[in-house]
Amino acid sequence: MSVSTPARRTGAAKAPVRGSGNTPGRRFRLGEPGTAWLFMTPALVLLAGMLLYPIFYTLWVSFSDFDLALFQPTGWVGWKNYEAVLKDPGFLESLKVTGIYLVIALPLQMILGFAIAFLLNVEWRGRGVLRALFLIPMVVAPVVAGGIWRMLLDPLWGVVNYTLGLVGVGPVEWIGDPNLAMASVILIDTWRWTPFVVLIAAAGIMALPGDVYEAAKSDGATRWQTMWHVTLPLLVPVMAAAFVVRWLGAVKMFDIALAATKGGPGNATNVVNLYIYEKGFRGLEFGSASSMATLVLIITMILTYFLFRISRRLENRW
Amino acid sequence: MVSTTAPAPKGRGTGRSSLGRIATIAAAILVTLAFLYPVIYMVSISFKLPKDIFTVPPKWISTVTFDNYVSYFHQARILPRMINTIIVAAGASIISMVAGSMAGYALSRMRMRGAGVVGGLILASRAVPPIALVVPMFLVARKMGLTDQYITVILAYVTFLVPYVVWLMRAFFKSLPKELEEAAMIDGCSRFGAFFRIIVPCSLTGMVSTLIFCIILAWEELLFALILTNDKAVTIPVAIAGIAADTEHGGLWGPLAAVGTLTVLPVVIFALAVQKYLIKGLADGATKG
Repeated sequence: MSVSTPARRTGAAKAPVRGSGNTPGRRFRLGEPGTAWLFMTPALVLLAGMLLYPIFYTLWVSFSDFDLALFQPTGWVGWKNYEAVLKDPGFLESLKVTGIYLVIALPLQMILGFAIAFLLNVEWRGRGVLRALFLIPMVVAPVVAGGIWRMLLDPLWGVVNYTLGLVGVGPVEWIGDPNLAMASVILIDTWRWTPFVVLIAAAGIMALPGDVYEAAKSDGATRWQTMWHVTLPLLVPVMAAAFVVRWLGAVKMFDIALAATKGGPGNATNVVNLYIYEKGFRGLEFGSASSMATLVLIITMILTYFLFRISRRLENRW
Repeated sequence: MVSTTAPAPKGRGTGRSSLGRIATIAAAILVTLAFLYPVIYMVSISFKLPKDIFTVPPKWISTVTFDNYVSYFHQARILPRMINTIIVAAGASIISMVAGSMAGYALSRMRMRGAGVVGGLILASRAVPPIALVVPMFLVARKMGLTDQYITVILAYVTFLVPYVVWLMRAFFKSLPKELEEAAMIDGCSRFGAFFRIIVPCSLTGMVSTLIFCIILAWEELLFALILTNDKAVTIPVAIAGIAADTEHGGLWGPLAAVGTLTVLPVVIFALAVQKYLIKGLADGATKG
């Protein structure tokens, strides 16, 4: 993920003619920096207009009084919105709910994903078919996933409760009980996203070098030893990368909670994105919605930064 | 000894005892079926009459009906919403592919002052939560009279698609041999010529898999569409959220399943048809870069 290429830049400046078969460097220097920025322009314009500008606008709204009659922010109010938001138990609870969801769902999906990938990688004729079928949950729109599972988990007519009833459990109030509602959201999210981890993990396992296994075998390592001391350490970069991608998706989670539980019961599954959405677009409290969004943005960026650093380090070490 | 220590991971050294092998394969099939079950369930519900849906024990075989498709198709205006979704997903994906590939190319292949900073910022923008953008988008779109229009939704989707494309394509371009455009440029091609005539045709695999992911991401997006549309430009996920919200008392299971099936089916067929690209794209997206 490192983007800068100082080595290449200085290398080209010092030695215009590069190694065998390469063209003289001057052809590349000809008007190069300008052209590079031309290539960047469409993306930069789009992101400046649709990403950077809205972020600053959000910041502005978060420090202003929002006039609902004029439907625009008026007058600077300093930290007022932030103070209100930080005293809002609903917001603090939604942060906690989001934290619980992330802390349980992400490791669960990673472990399940890698375990299933090992199962799927046993060589037989149907291996490719199974792997292709694992694409299916991944392309079910989250809002549809929430809808289907709402039916499956229905206390009265749901198949899950019927099946549990056969073995004498239940009826379970999946969506009605606060703790179980959280478990349900995590279950749905895990159903939807584990296949993604499975496919990345399967590709990673396929790409493992064969010779280290020969070596491990000739050293008399058992299957478990090979697993713990060879395979898993070799997979750490793939795990780190898969985790980062999963994290980037999970912090934006909104649709599954909306479709499956609407954040309820009470606030039990009200992830922070859903809470802010409701505040802003149901409650029309744009000022506090913006300050909450700003706080979420800052928290997300800081955590993502550290995750990237850790993931980089893990990818480089192995 | 040999038969027990052979590494399972690679798949090729499957010297395991045949019993263990069969058990593993059986487990793999079971797990796959478990993951597919909710989709199968949805499709089966979509063809059932209410009296066959709301029964205990669940009926596995019942009268097949198309009522759920027919009755809700007009009422919820599914067809126009599907077309809206296609237009928005295609528009956003194409714009993002063009802008994102060019930027990814510049970042991977060209010397540029500040490339590190710009690249880092674009990468960081992948982590921006959409919720931090929706209030201004809504306010500005409302002020400019642009709510409920394709272009607004398309531009909103560009915010998460462009960083994604830049990220994937930069890694892809890095893996191409340098000689490609060097040869073209010796022959008198400009950078643009080299990019569009040589690099793009050589990168079709990577571009196709990235494009597929863009289309899927845009197809299922909910938050932006929920906020920026209310009638003409409403997309399928918004329509589904509406129907799902109506299921309070279980009344609309059939229609919800039917619309869900219609939404998921094209993507599933599409995904299975291009599975090679998808799986490759997934693997590259996670590990390269």
